[in-house]
Amino acid sequence: MQKLVVIGAGMASGRMLEHLFETVPDSYEVTLFNAEPRGNYNRIMLSPVLSGEKSYAEIVTHDEAWYESHGVHCRFGERVTGIDRDARVVRGENGDVPYDKLVIATGSTPFIVPLPGHDLDGVVAYRDLEDTNRMIEAAGPGRRAVVIGGGLLGLEAAAGLRLRGMEVTVVHLMGHLMERQLDEAAGYLLRRALGDRGIDVICSANSKEILGRDGKVRALMLDDGTELPCDILVMAVGIRPASALGKVAGVETGRGIVVDAQMRTSDPDILGLGECVEFDGQLFGLVAPLYDQAKVAAATLAGAPAAFRPREVSTKLKVTGCDLFSAGDFAEGEGREDIVFRDPGRGIYKRLVLRDDRIIGAVMYGDTADGNWFYGLMKDGTDVSDMRETLIFGPSFQGGAPADPMAAVAALPDDAEICGCNGVCKKDIVTAIGGGASTLDAIKATTKASASCGSCSGLVEQLLAVTLGDGFVRDTVKPVCACTDLTHEDVRRLIKSQELKSMPAVMQELGWRTSCGCHVCRPALNYYLLADWPLDYRDDPQSRLVNERNHANIQKDGTFSVMPRMWGGMTTPEELIAIAEAAKKFGAAVKVTGGQRIDLLGIRKEDLPEIWADLNDAGMVSGQAYTKGLRTVKTCVGSDWCRFGTQDSTGLGIKLEKRLWGAWTPHKVKLGVSGCPRNCAEATCKDVGVICVDSGYQVGVAGAAGMDVKETERLVDVATEEEAIEWTVAFVQLYRENARYLDRPYKWVAKVGLDWVKEVLVDPTARADLVARFDLSQTVYQKDPWAERTDAATRRAWAPLADLSQEAAE
Amino acid sequence: MMGDVIETTQRAFVGVTEVWVPKDGRLIHATGDYGGRSAFEVASVVESFGPGEGLPGKAWAEARPVVLKGFDGSYFKRIEAAREAGLTSAVALPVFDGDELTAVLVVLCGDDDTTTGAIEVWKERDGLLLLEDGYYGAAKHFEWVSQHTHFPRGQGLPGGVWAAQTPILMRDLGSGYRFIRAESAGRAGLTTGLGLPVPVPGGETYVATLLSARGTPIARRFEIWDAREARVGKARGGKGGGCKGGGAVLIDGICEREGPLWNEDTPRRAAVWEGPVGQALGSGLPQVLSGAASVAAGYASMVALPIHRGGEVAHVVAWYV
Repeated sequence: MQKLVVIGAGMASGRMLEHLFETVPDSYEVTLFNAEPRGNYNRIMLSPVLSGEKSYAEIVTHDEAWYESHGVHCRFGERVTGIDRDARVVRGENGDVPYDKLVIATGSTPFIVPLPGHDLDGVVAYRDLEDTNRMIEAAGPGRRAVVIGGGLLGLEAAAGLRLRGMEVTVVHLMGHLMERQLDEAAGYLLRRALGDRGIDVICSANSKEILGRDGKVRALMLDDGTELPCDILVMAVGIRPASALGKVAGVETGRGIVVDAQMRTSDPDILGLGECVEFDGQLFGLVAPLYDQAKVAAATLAGAPAAFRPREVSTKLKVTGCDLFSAGDFAEGEGREDIVFRDPGRGIYKRLVLRDDRIIGAVMYGDTADGNWFYGLMKDGTDVSDMRETLIFGPSFQGGAPADPMAAVAALPDDAEICGCNGVCKKDIVTAIGGGASTLDAIKATTKASASCGSCSGLVEQLLAVTLGDGFVRDTVKPVCACTDLTHEDVRRLIKSQELKSMPAVMQELGWRTSCGCHVCRPALNYYLLADWPLDYRDDPQSRLVNERNHANIQKDGTFSVMPRMWGGMTTPEELIAIAEAAKKFGAAVKVTGGQRIDLLGIRKEDLPEIWADLNDAGMVSGQAYTKGLRTVKTCVGSDWCRFGTQDSTGLGIKLEKRLWGAWTPHKVKLGVSGCPRNCAEATCKDVGVICVDSGYQVGVAGAAGMDVKETERLVDVATEEEAIEWTVAFVQLYRENARYLDRPYKWVAKVGLDWVKEVLVDPTARADLVARFDLSQTVYQKDPWAERTDAATRRAWAPLADLSQEAAE
Repeated sequence: MMGDVIETTQRAFVGVTEVWVPKDGRLIHATGDYGGRSAFEVASVVESFGPGEGLPGKAWAEARPVVLKGFDGSYFKRIEAAREAGLTSAVALPVFDGDELTAVLVVLCGDDDTTTGAIEVWKERDGLLLLEDGYYGAAKHFEWVSQHTHFPRGQGLPGGVWAAQTPILMRDLGSGYRFIRAESAGRAGLTTGLGLPVPVPGGETYVATLLSARGTPIARRFEIWDAREARVGKARGGKGGGCKGGGAVLIDGICEREGPLWNEDTPRRAAVWEGPVGQALGSGLPQVLSGAASVAAGYASMVALPIHRGGEVAHVVAWYV
């Protein structure tokens, strides 16, 4: 009998021993070392043990009797101190053991982020039963836990600690949870489900320091200064192969112990197995490939041919009630297409990623019934072109069903719920159609289907088409884009009424057909969200048009224009000198604009941060000539200088500009203030134009002087400057809250009617509320983008890629 | 280890379990396990209840779980027969499919100060689950502690069930938890807890828990079956993979005789109409079996209770004595 020594009694080596005893039961005398004082247990079920939903006894895979029956010499709780390859001996704390074959299955160690304070008492990793018991010991009602890491393990720890009564906050570096397994949309649903369990989640959060008191953890501090008090801090940010033993023994190691397809290390009598190994540059953390490795290692020990081949793995999260499935690759990429299905009422999101008519990735939340079927198609590389149209509905729609998405609707049973909001089923709608309802509006009126969130309107229309055939004529309302059937107006209304505060929330709850929108809907949604929820939503630069991303207007030759603000068209000699110097330094062409400002043209992208810094130093801020926001307030010189001036029009213009700048609006907004009816500031063709008269101020709105030319309409006449400002700000806020994206004020007013605008604004309370909401938004958004982008990081980002072809040529 | 010793002489915490179903505007007797209390059985099978009448009728009319401790002078209709059978308390759990009542499950217990266990009803008020009422047998201290406990979403067995909208089975109730209630549970000998949502029409949230003690167990085997279409697929078959089989999968379970019943890799499946769990799935009605050969693991009786959600039987919980 040969002597086999196994170091590590984890799941991989346990499975290997099972295979070995099955295939060659009498070939080896086995000695099994384990640093933990116990044998093999189902480590991935530690989370239910933490939560109390399983007991440790239930997750023991091999008990004492099993080891005894297979004659395994157990050296549990004993560390291996070294391997003497020449003497072919494993050195344990309690003595040496000779080997003919050796298997290193030492697993992995949790990665501890080396934050200040990481060695405080109460900072724990999550790896084994000891860690689990430490967490159980620390848990209790009213106590607080912070979990760093929003991956599988971190979230399972969070859910377990919550069930044990703790107040739990998850801190995650990335923008959404489980970013390696889930896309943003599924991450949103998971976050919502955890929120329903009372678990706080903070994404895009950078931990800075672990704070302690008397050697014990008391809080985690984030880099924005936020302190999260805690009695225990769980670090679940990843694992590293425990390959030190192999390295010291002199077998080849990279990130892990390097093995071949037979699981042999560089020493053919030593095998590596599990999380400690590296194969073909890959590391392994999920159990499925480890079991494959175990089978191969057993075969190698038995002298049978076998080869390990990494395969796609699927992921499950062990948090009761959270159903998710993830497999393969679902990042954006060339030549890939998405199939997306959402059911907002039931909280379901399914996405398949296809390339060359084959599934290469699948993400599901809420309905995972077809996960294994998709996974099978993916593993087998099945050509799915024949079932492309109904693929997302799963296997029950394949085979006999014609490849027509309408067939899926036709096949729905009578009691299938169509409108989750109002509990309307297919039969109700078909009955209503039979009763004469032949349009979407008629169905809304008679059954209430799609009358609330509207996300089922596409399905209702399909039902109308299925039932009425060519007798159904679709409403001609234009949806936002191909991602949805909803109009801009619907989306705005629903963002408010359903309190949707993030892009994934809008797309899920309103049933977007794509996983993350398109170039048409994203900028609109980004605007609607930041306008409606200034404190909750964070502006997404990636959803902005190119000029807004660069904070400068790109010109036909690829250079940019730079335009500082001149408040109300006023400037100073010092500002002019700074502008002149900047123009000379960066070789700019200089243009005086119709908006009473100076434009510096021909600036190279890489020079932008520097010229911004120079102009900032002279006290100027961005004129934001590129934004959907306030552009200029054009004024005349007014009563200070002009013989005809009735009021201080320049002063009012400056006040208005200083109040309104920085605010995002559906489209650009230009103002004008003229000091008398002669109207030198051309205020009567602006979005808001104020004409000063002897009795006060005439505030007009909805003018235009571009593709369309239109005179302003009188909104109100007021006596004081304060009132003129209040009405102007309230009007702009009303426009911000109600207009569709890319409608200038004159287009919006034409749709809603000036009478409605007046009706709203004439109410002093409503006006004051609008002004208050505008001012609240300005606390977030009235910031000079130049000042925020003159640092080194921005300079690097704005710098061109190096032209290496020149260097190569030289 | 579980399964090492089976106490065959254990006394049951629950004396009688019965199912009442609506017919022609009244609740009539459908099935029951009377544990040899034949006189009470005879008195029961001929009984019927209108809305608001007796305990089942009250659960129906008020659309909520009802706990009744002490029958004398109460609205309970079978007081005499119950007294003779030694039954003193009862809990009625209505089974609603949306707005429609499909059945009322009634469990009756004898209050003799020697049996320990708990059947509780928790109700959400102001964002917290508070004890509506419960029957505890001899576990008086635990009853007092429970009356002074509340659970936020996601915390403890009731809060976990509330947040996850799914039945949950917890082990080792008396150890490892820092809840005051857990310490008391440990002292009362409570070991295993089954929590389940009790959906009712309207917006109220109810969670029921069955907390079992080793000496006088409510059950010696518990099972939780997941039957949601989102988990098991549509009932009609499809080709490929076989994952769209309908029915239900056993997501958790523990048995004194067979140990853990869950299997992550190959969970047990129940087909619709096959066996008591399958019949609960197919009919949407609670099943009570006693003395039948089909009761798993040789137990004397079992209850399979369907939980409806979103127009389907979402879960079935089963317990065996």
